[in-house]
Amino acid sequence: MQKITFILNGEEVSLEVLSSTTTLLDWLREEKKLTGTKEGCNEGDCGACTVLVTDLKKGRTEHKALNACILFLPQLDGKAVRTIEGLASKTSDLRIQEEMISNHSSQCGFCTPGIVVSLLTAQLNKDKNYDDILAGNLCRCTGYTPIIDAAIAAEKTAKMPVWVKADNNKLKKISTNKKSKQSKLFLPQTIKDLEKWCTKNPEGILVGGATDVGLWVTKKLMDLKQICFIGQISEMSQIKTANQSLNIGACTTIETLRNNIKTSHPEFSELLRRYGSTQVRNAATIGGNIANGSPIGDSSPALIALGATISLNLKGKHRTIPIEEFFIKYGIQNKQKGEFIESINMPRKEGNFRCYKISKRFDQDISAICGCFNITIKKDTIINARIAFGGMAEIPKRAIAVENFLMGSSWSDETISKACLEFENDFNPISDMRASSQYRNLVAKNLLKKYFIELSKTEKNTNVLRVKI
Amino acid sequence: MALDNQKNREFKIVGTRPDRPDGLDKVTGRAKFGADAYATGMLHAAILRSPHAHAKIIRISTEKAEKLPGVKAIVTREDFSKKVTGENWNVLENVMAGDTALYDGHAIAAVAATSSLIARDALKLMEVEYEILPHVTDVDKAMGKSAPVIRAGASDKSVPEGLHPNVVRYHESGHGDLSAGFEAADLVIEDTFKTEATHQGYIEPHACLAQLGGDGKGELWCCTQGHFHVQKTCAALLDIETSALRVTASEIGGGFGGKTAIFIEPVALALSRKTNRPVKLVMNRSEVFRATGPTSSTSMDIKIGMKKDGTITAGSGVFRLQGGAFPGAPMEFTAMCAFAPYNLENVKQIGYDVLSNRPKQAAYRAPGSPMAAFAVESIIDELCNRLELDPIEVRLKNASREGTKASFGPKWDRIGLVECLEAAKQHPHYSAPLKKGQGRGVSSGFWFNHGGETAVTLALSEDGTAALSVGTPDIGGSRASMCQMAAEELGISYDKVRTTIADTATLGYNEVSHGSRVTYASGLATIKAARDAVKKLCARAAKKWNIDEEAVIWEDGFAKPSGPNAGDFEPIPLAKLTKSMGRTGGPIVGHFEATPEGAGVSFATHIVDAEVDQETGRAHVVRYTVVQDAGKAIHPSYVEGQYQGGAAQGIGWALNEEYIYGEDGRLQNTGFLDYRIPVASDLPMIDTVIIEVANPGHPYGVRGVGETSICPPLAAIANAVSNAAGVRLKELPMSPVRILEAIKNKT
Repeated sequence: MQKITFILNGEEVSLEVLSSTTTLLDWLREEKKLTGTKEGCNEGDCGACTVLVTDLKKGRTEHKALNACILFLPQLDGKAVRTIEGLASKTSDLRIQEEMISNHSSQCGFCTPGIVVSLLTAQLNKDKNYDDILAGNLCRCTGYTPIIDAAIAAEKTAKMPVWVKADNNKLKKISTNKKSKQSKLFLPQTIKDLEKWCTKNPEGILVGGATDVGLWVTKKLMDLKQICFIGQISEMSQIKTANQSLNIGACTTIETLRNNIKTSHPEFSELLRRYGSTQVRNAATIGGNIANGSPIGDSSPALIALGATISLNLKGKHRTIPIEEFFIKYGIQNKQKGEFIESINMPRKEGNFRCYKISKRFDQDISAICGCFNITIKKDTIINARIAFGGMAEIPKRAIAVENFLMGSSWSDETISKACLEFENDFNPISDMRASSQYRNLVAKNLLKKYFIELSKTEKNTNVLRVKI
Repeated sequence: MALDNQKNREFKIVGTRPDRPDGLDKVTGRAKFGADAYATGMLHAAILRSPHAHAKIIRISTEKAEKLPGVKAIVTREDFSKKVTGENWNVLENVMAGDTALYDGHAIAAVAATSSLIARDALKLMEVEYEILPHVTDVDKAMGKSAPVIRAGASDKSVPEGLHPNVVRYHESGHGDLSAGFEAADLVIEDTFKTEATHQGYIEPHACLAQLGGDGKGELWCCTQGHFHVQKTCAALLDIETSALRVTASEIGGGFGGKTAIFIEPVALALSRKTNRPVKLVMNRSEVFRATGPTSSTSMDIKIGMKKDGTITAGSGVFRLQGGAFPGAPMEFTAMCAFAPYNLENVKQIGYDVLSNRPKQAAYRAPGSPMAAFAVESIIDELCNRLELDPIEVRLKNASREGTKASFGPKWDRIGLVECLEAAKQHPHYSAPLKKGQGRGVSSGFWFNHGGETAVTLALSEDGTAALSVGTPDIGGSRASMCQMAAEELGISYDKVRTTIADTATLGYNEVSHGSRVTYASGLATIKAARDAVKKLCARAAKKWNIDEEAVIWEDGFAKPSGPNAGDFEPIPLAKLTKSMGRTGGPIVGHFEATPEGAGVSFATHIVDAEVDQETGRAHVVRYTVVQDAGKAIHPSYVEGQYQGGAAQGIGWALNEEYIYGEDGRLQNTGFLDYRIPVASDLPMIDTVIIEVANPGHPYGVRGVGETSICPPLAAIANAVSNAAGVRLKELPMSPVRILEAIKNKT
């Protein structure tokens, strides 16, 4: 029996899950008639369905804003959920709600519940970067100004909602519940459990945060049978330092990784900040982003340029490969049936690494091109060059011809200009709705020039590519 | 409508910024939107849509779907009225295809089942045989000789001979002598501009819950900008009596014009009639993009002549708009708005309404006007650049004013364009220095505004509170301004008035919440209804004092004798009069029903600073100021909200948003993943300046504000971006691809 237990607005809920791919949003609205959580897009873009999910990790409380539309019920096992209905019984309980009213932050009000939840979660996490907090909450009426005004006004007298402590206590209680053998197979707790599942279900689908698989269900209406949730495996959610490298568990969320590498890898961390929205980063895992093999996933080109490797596990046997060798062609990865990515290794420092995400919109958009550069120069000579792009080929791909041209050459304007010509030997990008082939070719060259300018000159922010947050 | 007391009146409540009455509902999730209603025994519906841009429907097989357990009914065009004509026929043809699928996403059939999952599974089991026809989605191509004819005989009498049958309507207006005007100019610039279709992008998808019995009596709950319009249209499409269908408007999660049109309500009603059960129908996001009403896309030729001193000698424009496979692209609005801010001796504008294989366009905030401003104001900017003239001075020199003749005919009443331009000129933004790589743009914009059929009831309760019923759905905080106006007239406090959006059984016909008409028309009606109630209150006091009704006046919530001659009586407060009303003549209710026609037009001027990245072509708006005439701001915060909202949508439209059709005629970006509306970091804090030049047609001077705010942004941003990039951008959106291309071609 597939049974899960979680806390909903302070009440313990035990459910037998009939379909593993029932989303929290559908369940809230259709079963519980909690209609304050809205459906605007059903694909994790608009944030009208944002809920607060609290998790206890090694005794520490983690508050996350998540999109309920692409969150499957089993992912909630052992967690606490608060919807808009569960935040306050009267507005004076919650400063943000009061300020949203008095700053006239709603026009139509449809996005308002999701925004209240996002702002409250940010407040619990002491986060005040409002452009970023709200990147995953679309408001079409206001232009966001009165919303941000309300958030700032609410900072002053914010107090912890009374239920935070109570939820914690309840979480502790349910976390000590014994897991049945059956549920362990359904929701593995260790790498050993997962190996067993993969051996039994070699064609099965592993779901980390469901930010991609969620759309297979809500948009493509796919009926997924063999599905295993792995986000809860703590062994695979850790970041460890070993010698010269960082070992990142495949189930580490993008948001956790971003926060952990802010000092060691500021450029990569900033790229990850522009990965989806807060809600998406809170769910999406680094392993999932690599494993789906998308040509426009943002972490892969960065990891290739950084020289990362991945460790794969097949029935307990490990092998390690450079990450670029994982991508064979569109939809095909270097992975055997029943094999899974266990962890990623990358250098402890990023050095001269820079990355440029080119998208129509600055935040929460899919890259047209993502260019990542990592060039080592010694006495004006290029001794190592790793350049990788997303959006330029059917897989995340190295610019080998450009790299070869650069290696051993002098670090100069002339070298860069000549190296730009080599891009044509590396890439033949397609035209699609995100950008034309010509645009991609031109921008790839321009980004190498930009990298050269940024690395050689003191004038760092040469352009509007970087919006000051 | 006479201007009764807008001058020298000191307002107590109007002009303040109280919390909106539905504020708590909105922040707690209690507000009930379209998809938030459930009924006992309810079925869920889903719509089968054409995957082809243009195809003959040979056969629809529903047998397999009907056998799926849980499926209760399937409807096709056969299940709707055969008697509809005119625009209702167009609506029906769009709601459910007849013999031809006219665009990707066109509804072919619909199913009701016991769960939405079963309904969606049933769609997969329906088989439709199509004969694929040639298609066209671009406006210029649709007018070209080789374009497929989308609907033969659809053109009306206005269309001159010799044009492609896809041109279904034609408009021409203007005055003076164009050639003499261009002759007199020192510089004439002529160019062509294009804009892609955009979507209103409301976050709430269309949703409804319908119940219709075999007796033709029904109930409908839906998110709409106008439930009376829904009632009338659904009754026609289903061949039932209008009054037999009661429609209730839910809270509405954004509309911006897009929810003035009807898409799913008749389908849910037809399914309910067939199953005799309540049916809920909710669109998904991709259906919203594919099959509701985006804007027209446009192609425009503009020619303007100017003297060295900045005098505009002549202007002409040709505006080609495709509005999908149905007549109705708002090309006459585009044409009429184009030169509205200018007092021109010689001007001419021509409009073409063109069919294409796209969804039927719907209104989007000042339909047609933003595109016209983009084209005309771009040329004005270019003329100013080349003649080295200040863009605001030139606009002031040629500005439309009270008494001058509009480009489309009538003489302007009192208008506030000059006041807007003067305020923009004085604003610190206009003189602030620009950084390297940045450019500044200004633009004016115009919208007509509208009155329309309106009915309001104001009922007083025994405790001295007031229940105000209006028939215009609240799309941006209008309940707050209605409460303010009623309270102002009655002399009671703001929170003693409760405003409700009444259903269709409660009030007379109310036109849709469109045309920036709500605060103007429902506001005017509220004031008049309150005055009607006041008159009745005074009559009760007169009766009590045994004096003439005319001898009683109403002041600050009290009935008072009008002067010493009327007698010496203690003033009676409203609550005392209502407490005894059962004994003094019965309930006191104020009414107003009319079609007010004095909606004052509105102008705005926007200032924008933008920067452009030369290597990637990315543009970013760094500073934005809106100056707009509101006539009188009832609730200034919601006026500012409209200003900011229009500018924000304009930024999305100018830089990023567009409908992208593939060679196959299918819409490629059918979700928010690829139709990117602005997020917080795309927008600067948008500064606002409210100008108040009273509208003579409203008791307090109100002009509509919702739509004018989106008229200048496309042009103002295009001018800023062009000035930053050093090259004129002539196509929207100014995506990185288009900007980089323009920069590349410049050198």
